[in-house]
Amino acid sequence: MTSLETHLTEDERQSFADDTMSPEQRASAEAHLAACRSCADDVARLTTLMTRIRETPAPSPTVALDDLWPTIRARIEQSKVVSLPADVPAVRRFSPRMWWFGSIGGVAAAVLIGMAVMRGRPTGPGDAVGPGTTPNAGEPSLIAVVDSAHAYEQEARILLDKLELRRAMLRPETAEALARDLHVVDVAIAELKEAVARDPNNPALRRLLATSYRQKVDLLKRVSNAS
Amino acid sequence: MSARVRGSTDVMATTTDDAGGIDDVVRRAQRGDVEAFESLYRTHAAAIYALCRRMTGDEGESRDLVQDVFVRAWERLTSFRGQSSLGTWLHRLGVNVVLERIRSTKRDAARLIEGDDSTFGSHSSAPAIDASIDLDAALVHLPRGARTVFVLHDIEGYSHDEIALMTGIAAGTARAQLWRARRALMRMLDP
Repeated sequence: MTSLETHLTEDERQSFADDTMSPEQRASAEAHLAACRSCADDVARLTTLMTRIRETPAPSPTVALDDLWPTIRARIEQSKVVSLPADVPAVRRFSPRMWWFGSIGGVAAAVLIGMAVMRGRPTGPGDAVGPGTTPNAGEPSLIAVVDSAHAYEQEARILLDKLELRRAMLRPETAEALARDLHVVDVAIAELKEAVARDPNNPALRRLLATSYRQKVDLLKRVSNAS
Repeated sequence: MSARVRGSTDVMATTTDDAGGIDDVVRRAQRGDVEAFESLYRTHAAAIYALCRRMTGDEGESRDLVQDVFVRAWERLTSFRGQSSLGTWLHRLGVNVVLERIRSTKRDAARLIEGDDSTFGSHSSAPAIDASIDLDAALVHLPRGARTVFVLHDIEGYSHDEIALMTGIAAGTARAQLWRARRALMRMLDP
């Protein structure tokens, strides 16, 4: 609480200038400022600075940013090329901090392989919907898949939001590996969702989709705990 | 009060996604359409550049970072669910990319905030800058840690708690850095 005899603290001056004081604190500070020229001058200068910050336009580049696009595009195209196993060095350094990246990478690869297998596989006798049959979006199996997917997506979203706040604390190589692995799993999930929509009663596809969702959530949990 | 709505330029407030979710351009980019992604780049590049420029104070480094941000955005785009505007999502991504760069260029990550301020105080060696020189010119003279907190709080609108989470420092330390940055800017801009 501010009194008329004691000068405002640095906290009070800064909070007054950036308008983060409670109404009661502000009223008390205003009473002091009305009687203390020293504090009033200082707060006025801080307030002027805050106004200047608000009114300053964002900096513009001296060279057009369009020039950067070809390089960005080249890097994007490069990232689309998937390395074959032969490109992997025979001896790979492996640190405990990275073990989960290896495991999720393996899971992502398994998911992708599973998808490739399912694409080439004719619908089995146990499948309720045969080839050429139009899926019925109202069937219980599809509803269950959609509900389950929503639950996983919600959990993954919460974890991602938490992780975003901590992302800058991750080592750069860890953050890059995480982004890469999440991308692989997200692409796999997107393709599996499309496959399930086309063939909603295929149990193998549904299992694969559930597995990839679960692995994504597990990965995010591990990274959150590690960070 | 945060000085600004998060995202320092108008494009941050305008969203490429409609209120109901994700718009068609974003959706196409998420499916791997590079032309659609180029359209997003042209819409948002200036805002991301402004963020990078203010956080680093260096035009060349900012241009490098803009590239990194959009390459990262391409990799992560499938995780964008349309809960915020794409501009806000990109902005958060940009802050993380810049902070990672700052950390990777520091021998000791802890110096991100605590370091390089030994000469930065009430008798700072920072030059007095003519009042006609703009805020961005003055920002360059702040130590990197103080500049980071100042830009995140007073320009980009993050709270002290959010800054603490992003940078790994205590909220109280962030607050102290902010005050020191403002005082230094006052001396430079209004000597």
